[in-house]
Amino acid sequence: MAKTQKITRAELKKVEHIIKEYGKERWGLIPCLQDVQELLGYIPPELIPHIAEVLGLSPSHVQGVITFYEQLYTKPRGKNIVRVCRGTACHVRGGKTILNLVKQHLDIEEGETSPDFEFTLETVACIGVCALAPNIVINKETHGHMNPKKVAMLFGGKDEK
Amino acid sequence: MEAITITLDKVEVSGYPGMTILELAQESGVTIPTLCNDPHLAPSGACRICLVEEENSGALLASCVTPIRPGMVINTRSPRVIERRKVILQFMLASHPDSCLVCDKGNRCELRKLASEMGIGLLEFHRIPQHHVIQEVNPFIERDLSKCILCAKCIRADQELVVEGAIDYIERGFISKPATLNNMPLENSECTFCGTCIALCPTGALTEKEKTYHGTTTATVDTICPFCGCGCSISLEVKDNRLVRSKPAKESPVNYGTLCARGSYGYDFVHSPERLTSPMVREEGELREASWEEALTRAASEIKRIKEEYGPDSLAVLGSSKCTNEENYLLQRFARSVLGTNNIDNGSRLYNAASRVGLGSSVGFPCSTNSLKELEQSDMIMVIGANPTASAPAVGYAIKRAVRNKGTKLLLVDPRKTRLASSAYLWMKPRIGTDVALINGLAKVIIDEKSYDEEFVARKTDNFEEYAIDLRAYTAEYVEKMTGVPQEEIYLAARILAGNGHMSIVYGNGITQNSTGTNNVIALANLAMLTGNIGFSGGGIYALQRENNAQGACDMGSLPDFLPGYQSLDDSQARKSYGDRWGSEIPENAGLTALEMIEKAEAGTLKGLYIMGENPVLSFPNSSRVRNALSSLEFIAVADLFPTETAKLATVVLPAASFAEKDGTFTNFEGRAQQVRKAIEPPGESLPDWQIILRLAESLERPMPYSSTQGVRDEIEEMIPLYHHLDEFDRDDSDLDDLRGERLGARRFYKGLFPSGFGRFSPVEYIPPESTGGKQYPLTLLTGSVIHHFGSGTRSSRASRLKKFSPQAWVEINNKDAGKLGFSNGENARVVSPAGEVNAVIRTSEELPPGMLFMPISFPESPVNELFGVTTEGQTRTPSLKTCAVRLERTDSNGQDPENHQS
Repeated sequence: MAKTQKITRAELKKVEHIIKEYGKERWGLIPCLQDVQELLGYIPPELIPHIAEVLGLSPSHVQGVITFYEQLYTKPRGKNIVRVCRGTACHVRGGKTILNLVKQHLDIEEGETSPDFEFTLETVACIGVCALAPNIVINKETHGHMNPKKVAMLFGGKDEK
Repeated sequence: MEAITITLDKVEVSGYPGMTILELAQESGVTIPTLCNDPHLAPSGACRICLVEEENSGALLASCVTPIRPGMVINTRSPRVIERRKVILQFMLASHPDSCLVCDKGNRCELRKLASEMGIGLLEFHRIPQHHVIQEVNPFIERDLSKCILCAKCIRADQELVVEGAIDYIERGFISKPATLNNMPLENSECTFCGTCIALCPTGALTEKEKTYHGTTTATVDTICPFCGCGCSISLEVKDNRLVRSKPAKESPVNYGTLCARGSYGYDFVHSPERLTSPMVREEGELREASWEEALTRAASEIKRIKEEYGPDSLAVLGSSKCTNEENYLLQRFARSVLGTNNIDNGSRLYNAASRVGLGSSVGFPCSTNSLKELEQSDMIMVIGANPTASAPAVGYAIKRAVRNKGTKLLLVDPRKTRLASSAYLWMKPRIGTDVALINGLAKVIIDEKSYDEEFVARKTDNFEEYAIDLRAYTAEYVEKMTGVPQEEIYLAARILAGNGHMSIVYGNGITQNSTGTNNVIALANLAMLTGNIGFSGGGIYALQRENNAQGACDMGSLPDFLPGYQSLDDSQARKSYGDRWGSEIPENAGLTALEMIEKAEAGTLKGLYIMGENPVLSFPNSSRVRNALSSLEFIAVADLFPTETAKLATVVLPAASFAEKDGTFTNFEGRAQQVRKAIEPPGESLPDWQIILRLAESLERPMPYSSTQGVRDEIEEMIPLYHHLDEFDRDDSDLDDLRGERLGARRFYKGLFPSGFGRFSPVEYIPPESTGGKQYPLTLLTGSVIHHFGSGTRSSRASRLKKFSPQAWVEINNKDAGKLGFSNGENARVVSPAGEVNAVIRTSEELPPGMLFMPISFPESPVNELFGVTTEGQTRTPSLKTCAVRLERTDSNGQDPENHQS
């Protein structure tokens, strides 16, 4: 679902079609942005003036809406979204160590995306599987009872080093 | 509507439903402090300083957004309120730098004021690290967002008042701040530097750059902006006899708290070192300084001599559409009664005569029919031949607000893309010079589809049948062929114009400065009458005036063929009444218009000229011809602020005072006369023009009996029916509806409708424009205003910040044309027409259609009017200064031909 950095012409055409559907409906900004993100994985900043024009809004306003919401992204994200839980239970059961190990393996900081656009690393407040703490979620899969060996198994094969 | 009663600080007060607690408190004289509130902006409840306690429920309510409810018991100063307010302020101060001692906002800072009132000294809260100052090169706005308290007044002003959309909040939480798209410097955004945000910012976050004075000033004077025809109310701040700041005035019936770059930053020309401070006389070919007595004696003796030798009609007077009404009135009295000639005209001849004649003959009155406030209430607006966002910004804002808030349908008619295009419902791009065909075509569709206002036409107008018959030739097919506008657009436009609701037509110099100017205006007036849009709120005709007092100068009779108040010279009764008042006979024959003065000077029949506040060498077409003509006169006196190109040719130069240095009135394009107040003393020996005229009359032994502007104003009020209510300035517009015809401060004549009772349809024929320049001159040049300069640039080029931002003239050319002709952005070029040539820098643009060039009019070093010949339009003897045929040549940086020959 998440794409790599370059947008193809076909994607651009599709995106323009999506945006056009919203016509001059100012209320449609957020659904429109969500649709664009669904297709491209993020909202390219270069598209902002176009979206603004079609919807009848000012570009700075569209930018304001996008930057307000954490889940609307203006940079391309990795193919795999790795979420390390930092909730209470996970913390108590060594979540911080797990996070550091993941960081080492992927060689990126929290909030960053690896240069090959394979991984994006995030921390989240609580996944709700505290019985399996410490936890990691990769895309839609939850991995519980994490330990250094398991971390190495998950990411070792994709190791950049 | 039932009144709602609440208890406010133990007193019972009543208000109407929908009123907020804050509004009721303000009306009742109770002060509730605010930071994010402003009368011109919709309340937002951002700062929470205005919290009040509702004692029944114990709730703390934000009074600026909470509507009153019956039975509320409000305490605006309860201990909880005070405590809460203190905490909020402390939070704000915790993220505010400790630089009060060095901050320019000083005593004007509302945060500081509130904090000190609340007794907040040292802060106990943890400090939050802040944003840096943003580096920008524009000379207008300085942003130090570490001082921003997130009240959003700047954003709301940008989006609600001037509707530019340059800034909005970015991010959220502690890092939230107002920013442009991609957080670029303002000069890389849509910002027009109107200065409204600076006027509203309560802290030092937004301030003017290059301030001449830091801190709080001693005096403010409310007056009227001296630039365009909007007549915005400005508040000038004065310190040590210098103007240091210009802000929108609190009471601003035209501009509602906004201004434009000219109003906000253009005032520095008043302090330009080039100001004339002493009279000068020409001796042995050179101008030298002299005393007032010497200069006036010299002028008087020359005038007397010429009058005796050649007769009074060998003298002429050129009045100023920039000087006050009182001065223009005095000047025309001077011409008629002291000199004995009707040879008087004013600078607005260059663009406004078509309006006067056209509207005068159709609706009976030579002015806009409604106020700007009513434009915002229109359901449909047609803007044709005008670029209000550059030439009359307050009108531009009103139009954009109407589109944004009311869903008004904007019909834009302009071959060039202007800033209004993005707000337009329909944008038609007719070929240049084809306006009459287009307008007639629209009218025909409306008549054919029977969507015109039959009742209005039948009861209130004359001559409809002849008009309708004449329109038969203007079929949509024919119009498409002539104008290039597709038929579907013509039908769509006509349906919009005749649709339900009120329609306003806004037009400007694109309509009037043509060889068919008067016909263009009449065609528009016909259209307005056809759709029944004259004579009530929300519909009407708006004739934009380029200059601040173009309307006033003409109203005052600075015209060769009319006495004050547009009383015709043919009217012997009028001549007698003025003759009696002034103690002399008024000559009967109409005098020379401005351009005829040049022609007669050339021919040798005009010998002497008195010029007040005009610069014909720069503003008239073909300046070399004007220069020669003026040089051949035996006597010229010029009263002006600067040693202009025209002043340099004068026999006697008289230093005049600027708008900030005298009292008087200006009449804006709405017809509203507004008070101009003196803020500082004129520099050196310069004097206000009215005093100069009086002194000159005295030197000619024909003194005029006035000792102050009040005396002149009293006579204006007495003699000119239109200005009967000149003294009632302080009444506000809400009394307007009662008086319908008699507007205060402005003269409105529509007691319901037309002064004569009927509007008149005059059929006008479309005359195709003369064939363009052929192979020699393959491109069409369009001239126009730009927002960061004004008029011919005499004053705005001496305003330091405006000059810095926009230092030199340019010629815009369509991208593709540039490619084809081999020009690139930034190259030097020369624009050549059959009449002359001008140098400019190339700017490629996507906003022009192919084959068209655009040049701004306001750069004295590149006077566009050089390119125009002096052909005048039939009915008004106005030159057509809008378009001409040209070619483009390449030059090197010195404006010379490069070694490889032209393209």
